[in-house]
Amino acid sequence: MKADVELNLVHDGEQWIARGDALVAVGETLQDVDSNIGRALRDSGAFPRGSSVTVFMGFDFDTIPTWLRQYHTHYFNRYITVNL
Amino acid sequence: MAAVNRKWTDGMLHTEDWWAVWLGLIMFFAGLLTIWGVDLVGWMTKTKTWEWGKFWSDPSFNKLLAAAHTKEGQAYAGMGGFASLLVTYIVFTALTCIGAYFQKLDVKKFFMGFTCIFFITWGAWIIGHEAHFKALKTGQSITQAEIYGDNVFCTTKVNKCSAQINKALKGMGVDVMAGQVPTQEQAAAAVGKSKNAIRMSWGLQLGGGFSYMLALAVGLIIGNLFKGFAGFLKEGAKPEWFIKTAIVYLGIKLGLMSMKAAGFALELALAGAAATFVAYLLFWPIVYWMGRKLFRLRRDASAVLSSGISICGVSASIATAGAIRAKPILPIAVSMLIVVFAMIELVILPTFYATVAPGQPIVNGAAMGMTVKTDGADAAAGAILDEMMVANHYRTTGETWEADWILSAAILTKIWIDVFIGVWAFVLALIWVYKVERRPDQDHVGASEIWFRFPKFVIGYFIAWLTYVAIAVWFPDAIKAASSGAGVVQSPMRKMMFMLTFVAIGVITDFSKLKGMGRLTVLYAIALFIVIAPIAYFVAWIFHHGMMPPIAQAG
Repeated sequence: MKADVELNLVHDGEQWIARGDALVAVGETLQDVDSNIGRALRDSGAFPRGSSVTVFMGFDFDTIPTWLRQYHTHYFNRYITVNL
Repeated sequence: MAAVNRKWTDGMLHTEDWWAVWLGLIMFFAGLLTIWGVDLVGWMTKTKTWEWGKFWSDPSFNKLLAAAHTKEGQAYAGMGGFASLLVTYIVFTALTCIGAYFQKLDVKKFFMGFTCIFFITWGAWIIGHEAHFKALKTGQSITQAEIYGDNVFCTTKVNKCSAQINKALKGMGVDVMAGQVPTQEQAAAAVGKSKNAIRMSWGLQLGGGFSYMLALAVGLIIGNLFKGFAGFLKEGAKPEWFIKTAIVYLGIKLGLMSMKAAGFALELALAGAAATFVAYLLFWPIVYWMGRKLFRLRRDASAVLSSGISICGVSASIATAGAIRAKPILPIAVSMLIVVFAMIELVILPTFYATVAPGQPIVNGAAMGMTVKTDGADAAAGAILDEMMVANHYRTTGETWEADWILSAAILTKIWIDVFIGVWAFVLALIWVYKVERRPDQDHVGASEIWFRFPKFVIGYFIAWLTYVAIAVWFPDAIKAASSGAGVVQSPMRKMMFMLTFVAIGVITDFSKLKGMGRLTVLYAIALFIVIAPIAYFVAWIFHHGMMPPIAQAG
């Protein structure tokens, strides 16, 4: 699936952080992150109002402890669609 | 974007799982070249069974080690034991350091750690091969002790030793295969002529399993009593990488075994798949229910723990946590439990199964595969069980089971579990995204997640296995030449990777990590020993009872 916006997703122990070239969205739950992404996209004006934006969030596996990476190499990726 | 899987090829150069495939296939292809008369693996060192007194009468590395060259590799014949150990070290250090570089490990630390682990491993392996620990009595010494004496031990495969003695007797005009019985003097002379029979006043007859247990003990002592040194070794202690590489080599072994007993190998593979599927459907819901109802865990914690304990350990807990979008700290905590408990299982279960059910070798192996929750610990436990049961059976009956079938049963059930985890995580992801946490702003789950979670080393295992099956079916004339190089890769090389795993798994296991894990630890222990282990054994029995390893032929 092709995405309009690509973000790097991590969890810092307390909250999820989605970070891209032009925006950062944080939230205690992924739902909060999604809402904040929508808000940031609207504020940025990069996409016209009423458009539908596909956002890709790839979990950065480098944030998993090194000793654990030998057992598995993937956490999750997610796509959301934000209606501006 | 750093360390994000997007394309299907992502991770091929950067993950340990793929590097197990590459290391496995490099040696697999090198071994295959004996078909064309080229031996590229004959430098590999192999251990020899040695006796303390004889060694010190004239110390030499050649009494401990030898190059494992094939008929095609006579160039290696002049290579001494020490030289072949050095070449083995150089080749494997170079290959693993290249892998470490691409995996973005600290190559210098990896090199130092791997070097120490390599030589600790070989030290343990050599000690484990001392005849008083390892050597088994010859068949004649077990069944006709009044003629041969009960103190004749064998420094190679017992069938080979027995055949040497019988051949020497035939040379004296006593054909035991035709029913003739030698005198005590003739028997003593024949034992003296046998290249591999020795007399010793005592022997523990522990077989090759003793080396594994010794390596594990050394690793555990370092990991728990010398934590500073363990920290120094940690970058080079990669048990999952070592064991996955060994499992690819084991695919070659299974291929060779399939050439001899294709029907049994297929039956074992299918029974393992069926047993795994049934066990899956029982384990997960029971443990999930226990977590939710008895231990009042949150839904996500219960799901992650259920997968970790009932499916394939760390890998499953990470896959499940990812599938249900749990915070990463959850699988990390569960993984600590899994790694430590897998070690406890590895120490307890082989002896327990071998003692309680000595007549059910394949059932025991399959049950091991469904009970021990990391690939490293499962393969290690399967290897100990195999050595232990083959040696025990020989000691009590004089009959030799072919080695590695019990280990193969343990690996096959585990591999099916590993394969299923991708599908299971995908199903959980669908349930979580579209039902449990259903929202109008839609989070899509791609089928690519199945591939990202698929254990890649399994590909190497099946390539190796099926290639040898294909050779047997389509090029039967090449079997002998193919087996020659394969023998080096699947035996000394595979066993070295097992031994490295034993030391490394001990080094990274720190039992003090269980402190402070509270309810999760209690639930894990109860679920593992009261639910998983008995059900696994029952299911393994249903699908594998009556299956026995083939009897080894005299060499």
